[in-house]
Amino acid sequence: MEQVTTESADYLRTYSRSRRSGASSWMWQRITGLALVILTVGHYVLMHYNPVSGHDYDATGERLAMPIFKGLYLAFISIGMYHGLQGVYNVIRDFKLRPWLHLTIWGTILIAGIVFLGIRWNTMLTFDPQKP
Amino acid sequence: MAYIPDREPISAWTRIALAYRRHSGSYAYILHRISGIGLTVYLFIHILALSSLTKGKAEFMAEMKTFTTLPFKVMEWGLGLLVMFHAFNGIRIAVVDLGNGARYQKKLLAFVYVVGVAVVLGMFVLIFNAELFAR
Repeated sequence: MEQVTTESADYLRTYSRSRRSGASSWMWQRITGLALVILTVGHYVLMHYNPVSGHDYDATGERLAMPIFKGLYLAFISIGMYHGLQGVYNVIRDFKLRPWLHLTIWGTILIAGIVFLGIRWNTMLTFDPQKP
Repeated sequence: MAYIPDREPISAWTRIALAYRRHSGSYAYILHRISGIGLTVYLFIHILALSSLTKGKAEFMAEMKTFTTLPFKVMEWGLGLLVMFHAFNGIRIAVVDLGNGARYQKKLLAFVYVVGVAVVLGMFVLIFNAELFAR
């Protein structure tokens, strides 16, 4: 096997120049993936260190009243949806389907993903903790 | 990367699937894709379930109570399995792609499985705490 000598900086330099090849999506998949690992650890601690307050309506209201929290969670769901859709696209693309079938499957998933992301943003932005 | 047929009949797919190189990395690649699709499906369900936040406290808390029943606990553990494999293997992929991990990707994979199994077993104890240790 050939010796691997490439340093991380070389990869960054190479992929910063290849926007049209799809390599930027490849790079973003790594960046968002690592961000999601960190955010998921935080999410698990928050939801399950104290499972009762983690899943409580009032506690959720208190948390979402904090702008930093709301911002982090909107970022979390958006990054997660981007990473998920990009990943599914990679899988679909590998099957080399007929163009109409590719467009139908991928189009349906993409539109559904955007709609669901909209539902989540709507839930978080219109959530009123005072509602009984 | 396996050869992907271009517009070939189903029989060709079966032949190719059976001829797949049975290397540990190939299995990790397949498992990463399956867990990734599973997690994306879960993300959709998660969004739909939590949209009940806008319907008021009573409805939301009733839903949360449902999620603490045994079938949902089993599914939660399954979700943890997907998350842990995808996260640990994802770190491995990043190390291989961005760092110099290609040299020791098999050791990393062993690490993924060992730590993953340990964490998932730990999750089992945490999730089924009430069922395991009767008070």
